[in-house]
Amino acid sequence: MNRTQVTRWLVSEKVLPYWLILPTLAYVAAFFLVPLAQALLLAFRTEGGQWTMRFFVRMVEDVRFFDALKFTLILVAIVVPLQLVTALSIALLVNTRFRGSRSFLYICAIPLGISDLAAGLIWFSLFTQHGYVNSFLYTLGLIDKPIYFLSTQNLGWVVGSIVLAEHWRATAIVLVILVAGLQMISRDYLEAAEVFGARPWQKLWHVTLPLLKPSLQSALIIRTILALQMFAVAVALGGRLVPVLAGEAYYWYYLYRNANVASAYALFLMVISLLLAWGYLRFLRPREVRS
Amino acid sequence: MKRWNMRWLFIGLLVSVGVTAGVASPDLTFMSTQMRPITEAEWARTELLPPFTEETGIRVVFLGAEEPELTNRILAEYQAGKGSLDLVGDLHGNFLVYHTALKDLSAELSLLEGLGDRTLAKTFVELGRIDGAQAYIPWMQATYVLVANKKALAYMPGRMATEGLTYDVLLEWAKNVYQATGEKRLGIPAGPRALLHRFLHGYLYPSFTGAQAKKFNSPEAVAMWQYLKELWEYVNPAAPTLDSMDTALLSEEVWIAWDHTARVKTAILERPDDFVVLPAPAGPKGRGVITVLVGLAIPNTSPDPAGAYLLIEYLTRPSTQVTILQGVGFFPVVAEAAGAVPTGGLKVLADGVAVQSAAPDLLVSIIPGGFGARSGEFNKVYLDAFTEIVLRGRPIEDVLARQGALLETLFRETGAPTPVPDVYLP
Amino acid sequence: MTFPRLQRRILLYMAVVVIALWVLVPLVLIALAAFTPRLELYRWPKTIIPSAFSSATMSFFLRSYGTVSSLRNSVLVALLTLGMTLVVGAPAGYAVARYVFRGREAFRLGILMTRMFPTSLLAIPLIVTFIRWELYDTLIGVAFMHTAMALPFAVLITSGIFSGVPKELEEAAMTLGCSRLGAFVRVALPLALPGLAAAAMFTFVISWNEVFAAAILTVHNRTLPAQVLTSLEVAPLDFRFAGGFFMIIPAVIFMALARRYLFQMWGGAIAER
Repeated sequence: MNRTQVTRWLVSEKVLPYWLILPTLAYVAAFFLVPLAQALLLAFRTEGGQWTMRFFVRMVEDVRFFDALKFTLILVAIVVPLQLVTALSIALLVNTRFRGSRSFLYICAIPLGISDLAAGLIWFSLFTQHGYVNSFLYTLGLIDKPIYFLSTQNLGWVVGSIVLAEHWRATAIVLVILVAGLQMISRDYLEAAEVFGARPWQKLWHVTLPLLKPSLQSALIIRTILALQMFAVAVALGGRLVPVLAGEAYYWYYLYRNANVASAYALFLMVISLLLAWGYLRFLRPREVRS
Repeated sequence: MKRWNMRWLFIGLLVSVGVTAGVASPDLTFMSTQMRPITEAEWARTELLPPFTEETGIRVVFLGAEEPELTNRILAEYQAGKGSLDLVGDLHGNFLVYHTALKDLSAELSLLEGLGDRTLAKTFVELGRIDGAQAYIPWMQATYVLVANKKALAYMPGRMATEGLTYDVLLEWAKNVYQATGEKRLGIPAGPRALLHRFLHGYLYPSFTGAQAKKFNSPEAVAMWQYLKELWEYVNPAAPTLDSMDTALLSEEVWIAWDHTARVKTAILERPDDFVVLPAPAGPKGRGVITVLVGLAIPNTSPDPAGAYLLIEYLTRPSTQVTILQGVGFFPVVAEAAGAVPTGGLKVLADGVAVQSAAPDLLVSIIPGGFGARSGEFNKVYLDAFTEIVLRGRPIEDVLARQGALLETLFRETGAPTPVPDVYLP
Repeated sequence: MTFPRLQRRILLYMAVVVIALWVLVPLVLIALAAFTPRLELYRWPKTIIPSAFSSATMSFFLRSYGTVSSLRNSVLVALLTLGMTLVVGAPAGYAVARYVFRGREAFRLGILMTRMFPTSLLAIPLIVTFIRWELYDTLIGVAFMHTAMALPFAVLITSGIFSGVPKELEEAAMTLGCSRLGAFVRVALPLALPGLAAAAMFTFVISWNEVFAAAILTVHNRTLPAQVLTSLEVAPLDFRFAGGFFMIIPAVIFMALARRYLFQMWGGAIAER
């Protein structure tokens, strides 16, 4: 191969994608690869350098492990689908372009800019014993004594309030992605469907949703990964009552100062995330444009 | 097209500002886990430190930090061999985790003592000696107390027993309040960042068993957990979400609360006439209390250890110690300032603490050390036992056997010394 | 035919009002609480509308150390992050959307993996690295970290966007004499711009709300969440509300500014009505 051939090969369509992903790969590797690898090793290796599974044993035997696993899965299973449905409904509502839809979309997008810690603070003040919700109900005469929303007595309420807060805070992220995706759908398809006499439902099911698949996929993956990492809101509202895996990893690292068990938790969380993300990629595969 | 150019120009400008912007490094950086609440941090910046700057010409930036954040930062700066913090204010218990990253202050200590105007409490200075080096200089102290809304006093069994309060009376009291008002108004902080573990190992355990850890799994301990389960019937059920008691006291969600003085202070300052401060209750073996010691340390990587020493000298002066008591309610560690009594709301707090420390049956604990990086696991044993026994209702003996084994392993593997007051047990 | 149509309208607006209230009510509550006299916050039952208006807490908060400068830092860091993320990440998103290449799936999952590991557990190694690279306590350092955190998602979103741009259009442009790059810049990029704006917004928001890295990697140069939220956790209720409210205002303003881009997604259609 002479020099021009090499140059040509280097810019050929076959090699081009690798050039395009190189900056991202290099960047992520530079910032994450070494610390991440170190942290993952910690889950299997003692300070002395012996390989061991005892940190995983400690994790599984921990008093809070199964609760954390249970609540994490419950929260993700409720919050993510709920957000997807809400975001899709809002996006479709806006898509009808009614008068005021601009302001409506703006309002719905505001929580995007609110951090999980701030959201936890807001919702906590709503649900405490002498908080706003109880004050409101009491003033209306609906209750004669405050309800303990966040307490040992009512784990269902606690989980419910975490779901509400997460739903309030993070639906906007899904919304923005879906709105962008909806916009990419050419009007021609929908008009064509109309020509063939499709009903609104049929249009949604057979035209819009299939074409929205790439965005739905991105939104689902991102939301699920973030929901699995979520813990500021769970801590703010659930305190010690509703442990989640990300929270346990954090506590083991910061409060109990055992980086090994913390890494075991993190690795466990990563495996769950990976399985779910792989599932989304596999089962929500959009049609290839080039087919 | 033009608009786009303008936009990029603007962004480019911002980027260049961003790269170069930044606060110039100050003369001294003082990071502390104490005085972190926004009002106290502002007090430190506007009242406590300016006289020092006037005197020495050294500008100080005071930064509050959460405990884990400070710990990780110091360990990491030590590992990197280069740091940004000059002086650190932290709790005795935390210094035990990162004392290897701290400068030995033995020389500084003798300089201070040579000044002749201050007598640092001997026991505290001893505590600051970790592995043969003076890891920190005592700075101020605090403790945990019982705070009661005056409305609750009407339901106290017998006459108001300021010095005679026992755990049995507390139970009776909380029960009376519940029966009279229909609400569970005893407050014990049990949130994820709460200091519940201190209540367990430093208050209940010594009061019932005479030791913090030695009698973790014993008949006396079983009786103690049995008592706590009963008591918990009258504890506000939102307790596991509460990290500190001041807000709950002010909103009257609770009427009687146990917590760290710094974590009930806001309530007392806000409405000094509505609250009384009582000593912690006593149990069969005495009145278990913890002394919280805050120290000052200089990291090995401090850019200006000499300046940091000057600040230590200023902060341990008797007059400064009184200022701190007046300003934020932390108690002095030098004998010369010991008699000082604050005014206003803090007097309520100081009086309560004075009564507590004068109690004849006092059983003082110091937060156990020697676990090195694993001190958090010590706390976890107590907290997990609490979760299992009180929140989940598991059989006490089983839980104590399981967690007790973990505790023993921890002591064995780290070679931690037997804590006070456990050593005095036969 | 007109009646069901009217009914549909009414239903639509009812849904809109309910959803809007759901988003707005908590925001209004915290705004009111931020300006309620201190002791009134602890009263039972609380009144929704305070009896008096008090700006004492808010002004103390605004005047306290670092609040205002951290706001500036936050904006800078978020803009830097946005720029770097798009420059680095959009090409990768394009590659994933356009090309079927060996290792594509592995690449997609691989970079996402970095977000599946709780970043907060990397505290000590990250600080050490940043000190060694002289990036500790600098805004650009925080932006570097935020970019690393936003990149995986940016790649995912942009690939979704680009896969919606028909490849045929680019090919057509190339047969008409455009180069590969020219076809991308003149055809694919303009079509994808609104979507890229969404990705940019997402990136900005990630950086804006990020607390952990910003807190741990800076000492004097803090961003707003790092400065405010850590001091609020132990603060009395009034400061928590004031701080919470203060954190929300920039978000609302930012969304108002970004709104133009958000709505560009709808073409001019809404504006024309």
